[in-house]
Amino acid sequence: MSLYETVVNTGKPYLGPAAESFIARQCKSHLKIDPAALSRPHLKELAKWMEIGGGLIMDSAKAAEMAKKILALS
Amino acid sequence: MKMTIRNKLIAGFSGVLVLMGVVAANASVAFLALRHSAHEATTVGGRLNSTALEIQVHNLEAQRRIKNYLDQVGSLGAEKAGEMYLGEARFEIHEIRTLAAKASAIAPDPGKRAKFEKISQALSDYEKAVDAAVSAASAGRSTAAAIADCETAAESLHEFAEDGEVAGREASQASEDDIKRVSDRALVIASVVSLFGLILGMVMSALLTRAILTPVNHLREVADNVSMGNLAIEVQRHSSDEIGDLADSFGRMLTAVKFFRMEAEYAQQDAIAALEGKQ
Repeated sequence: MSLYETVVNTGKPYLGPAAESFIARQCKSHLKIDPAALSRPHLKELAKWMEIGGGLIMDSAKAAEMAKKILALS
Repeated sequence: MKMTIRNKLIAGFSGVLVLMGVVAANASVAFLALRHSAHEATTVGGRLNSTALEIQVHNLEAQRRIKNYLDQVGSLGAEKAGEMYLGEARFEIHEIRTLAAKASAIAPDPGKRAKFEKISQALSDYEKAVDAAVSAASAGRSTAAAIADCETAAESLHEFAEDGEVAGREASQASEDDIKRVSDRALVIASVVSLFGLILGMVMSALLTRAILTPVNHLREVADNVSMGNLAIEVQRHSSDEIGDLADSFGRMLTAVKFFRMEAEYAQQDAIAALEGKQ
């Protein structure tokens, strides 16, 4: 399982069916990388944007919790 | 243990079952105690009482026959009068002895037993007095003193038999008091436990109803809002049970809907921008 897939699985309990699209959007828009190219050094930045972006569509505490779990993968 | 609705219901029903068990156990103990006391009252007390009355009857019969014997021994002769009255009088005395022994054996406490043992002692004195009277009559001597002794002994026997009758009544009364005490206590315990169970049941029902209805009402409110297009509403998890899990699932779906709607808006904006660029 690639790191991207692991990140998607981590985000699914929070984002449900939108997890893959949401994470792909963060990778493309903010990290300027292809989702398949996601590596551990990207995780800190990805976690930051997932917390910011997640805060727009879910409770901010939940978004912070999700970001913390993404960061724990690094 | 996770407090799921199933576990809450199991805990509630278990509590009710335990209370019912306590009430049933109390009722069983009370029933057995009451049955024992009722048995004592009807059997021991009643038998002592009736035995004492029988002793009195036999005593009167014995007195009557001995009096007849002494009255008629002169005219009928010792043998004939003995056949007619003395044999039966001795039989009555034998019956009194048997009854007193039986009563002593079933008496519930030493005090009551002693009363029936005194009857046996008085009976021995009475027999001696009768023997003395019969000897005097057979020998043609004056029987006045012997008859007086007989009457005194019979009176003494009668008094002890009355004491025995009182002892029987007391035994019945004591058992009746036991019945009243046990039934009163059982009633108090059953009332307290039932009242406690009723209050506990009401409190548990209220808590369970609130635990189920509060999150369900919240989810209904969220669903109403979403169905009317308000996606800004927050889904809150009120409990860690199945309804809490449902709230999480619903919140996840709402998050996805919000995201897809944002994506659609971005795509629409991009398409409009592209169209405007072409123009």
